[in-house]
Amino acid sequence: MIREPKSSLRADGGRNFVYPADVAGRFRAARKVVFVALLAIYAALPWIPVGGHPAVFLDVARREFYVFGGVFNAQDAWMTVFLLTGAAFGLVVLTATLGRVWCGWACPQTVFLDGVYRRVERWIEGPREKRMRRDRGPWTWDKAWRKALVHAIAIVVSLVLAHVLLAYFVSVREVFALVRQDPGEHVEVFVAVTALAAVLYGNFMWFREQFCVVLCPYGRLQSALLDGDSLVVGYDRARGEPRGKATKTRGAPAGDCVDCQRCVVVCPTGIDIRNGLQMDCVGCTACIDACDAIMDRLARPRGLVRYDSQNGLAGQPRRVLRPRMLVYAALGLAGLTAAGLAFGGRSDVEVNVLRATGAPYVLDGDAIRDALHVHVVNKRSATTTFDIEPVAAVGAEFLVPIRTVTLAPLASADVPIFVTVARADYRGEFPIRLVLRPRAGGRSREVAATFLGPEAR
Amino acid sequence: MSDTVNRDDGRVVHEVDGIQELDNHLPNWWLVTLFGTIAFAVMYWFTFHVFDVGELPGRAYRREMAELAERQGKEVAMTNDTLVDMSKDPGLVADGAATFTSTCAACHAPSGGGSVGPNLTDEYWLHGGSPEAIYQSVRDGYAAKGMPAWGPQLGGRRVQAVAAYVLTLRNSHAPGGKPPQGEKYATR
Repeated sequence: MIREPKSSLRADGGRNFVYPADVAGRFRAARKVVFVALLAIYAALPWIPVGGHPAVFLDVARREFYVFGGVFNAQDAWMTVFLLTGAAFGLVVLTATLGRVWCGWACPQTVFLDGVYRRVERWIEGPREKRMRRDRGPWTWDKAWRKALVHAIAIVVSLVLAHVLLAYFVSVREVFALVRQDPGEHVEVFVAVTALAAVLYGNFMWFREQFCVVLCPYGRLQSALLDGDSLVVGYDRARGEPRGKATKTRGAPAGDCVDCQRCVVVCPTGIDIRNGLQMDCVGCTACIDACDAIMDRLARPRGLVRYDSQNGLAGQPRRVLRPRMLVYAALGLAGLTAAGLAFGGRSDVEVNVLRATGAPYVLDGDAIRDALHVHVVNKRSATTTFDIEPVAAVGAEFLVPIRTVTLAPLASADVPIFVTVARADYRGEFPIRLVLRPRAGGRSREVAATFLGPEAR
Repeated sequence: MSDTVNRDDGRVVHEVDGIQELDNHLPNWWLVTLFGTIAFAVMYWFTFHVFDVGELPGRAYRREMAELAERQGKEVAMTNDTLVDMSKDPGLVADGAATFTSTCAACHAPSGGGSVGPNLTDEYWLHGGSPEAIYQSVRDGYAAKGMPAWGPQLGGRRVQAVAAYVLTLRNSHAPGGKPPQGEKYATR
């Protein structure tokens, strides 16, 4: 006989749709606060101005990126390597210490699903038993309007979330402008946002825990990241077993687990935490709250299901500092340090000398003339005026028609520069240098180019 | 780690160091995506490579480039008359004004009254005030005097737009403009 472990997936490939029961408790309350805070941050970031731009504004179309007052363009992309390396190892440290706190408390999949979509479902369709009975039952007017209303609200919510995400890339003002326009005027954006809303709707109304259980690579990495000392949501087998109903006679030696199934019915991934640590567990703490409530009622101590390490659950001492933690932390710090140095040392102006297309040099009577232009990009968050000054070179005459450029953040200018050398003085290629000086103060930048002419005779 | 699994029916296919691998089916939704991609690949192959109904990016690119070349080939030569006609096209003049502000205003002032470069709003012109001469000055420049050749940098259409805009500035006498330079050009 085969007894399959509780799971959202059946061995035959079918799916057990999960109907998590309501749960109340200290972790549920704390998670609600965290969800509200994270949702507020998600919605607010494109609105809050920092240094004249939204706190986070990733203008991919124009390759302009504003992040908490920092101004970046596509040429700065290399810095993100270090930032991502640091952040990834930071997450590894977090996982090795605190297990799947990210999954249970902060992952958008959890925040939107538990914090928004399941709330709507619970509000319209009622508690677990009612939802299950109605879904199994025939189509009645009651079922039809409730289902229609839940899905209508879910579609609206998905559209709102998709538009908020759009605001990160085109700014809030542009989102409002686009919404008022005929979709025919911005077909690509319209299709992208509609498709994103459809994906959100399908994910949160149907796919749900399958994302965490099957798709998410972070979930699949848990077995490599966790060890016996990492914090997990676990069941104290020594205390709970043998499980059984509380008896008045107290004849048989019973453990503290009364096999009430509360931890199973509240689980959003449909597992039984008493089977031990499983990949499906997203560390949402619902079973902790559920079990604590039962233990309170039975006047037994809380914590039969609790946050603890696997060693702790087995009655062994817990270690926080392990060699692997130090290695992870060192790698994470190395990444963040490199990112910090990269951000700190980045130039607030981009300047290049380019040769005018067409001819490397022009012979004009007794003179050789090189036509160059200086490409300047302002990477400060404020409008800045730059002075361009050639560094005097013997025999070279500079003509700089535009000596001053004033540039808005990430605006660029092409400044023509002409260098003339008398043919008689020309002794072969030589370097020419220019200094770009921000008028408001700050580091000057020197750029060099080569003066070209005909073979010296 | 699971103690309720009891596979006595031989469905355990691997066991290494006490870790059992079972022969469960793949999730049905996952199989749908797998077969979906296979069906898509077949449709894609027939659409793009067998019946040639669709247009691959490479061919779309070549078609658009050919269309562009054809359009550019049809471009009329820039004569005084065509340039004057262009200066009466509000859309083109607006484009030219935008380019003027970003590119030319640094030397010729936003009003066209001139600063480093000469005043474009009076009757006097250093290199000729006819529409053709102005167009040519913008396109080819006068490198010796600091006027770059904008043709290669801006491209044909934007040079035309700027020339059309400059034609609208002629004789507008922007206040505070630079004193006249060059020869007087009488507009008909």
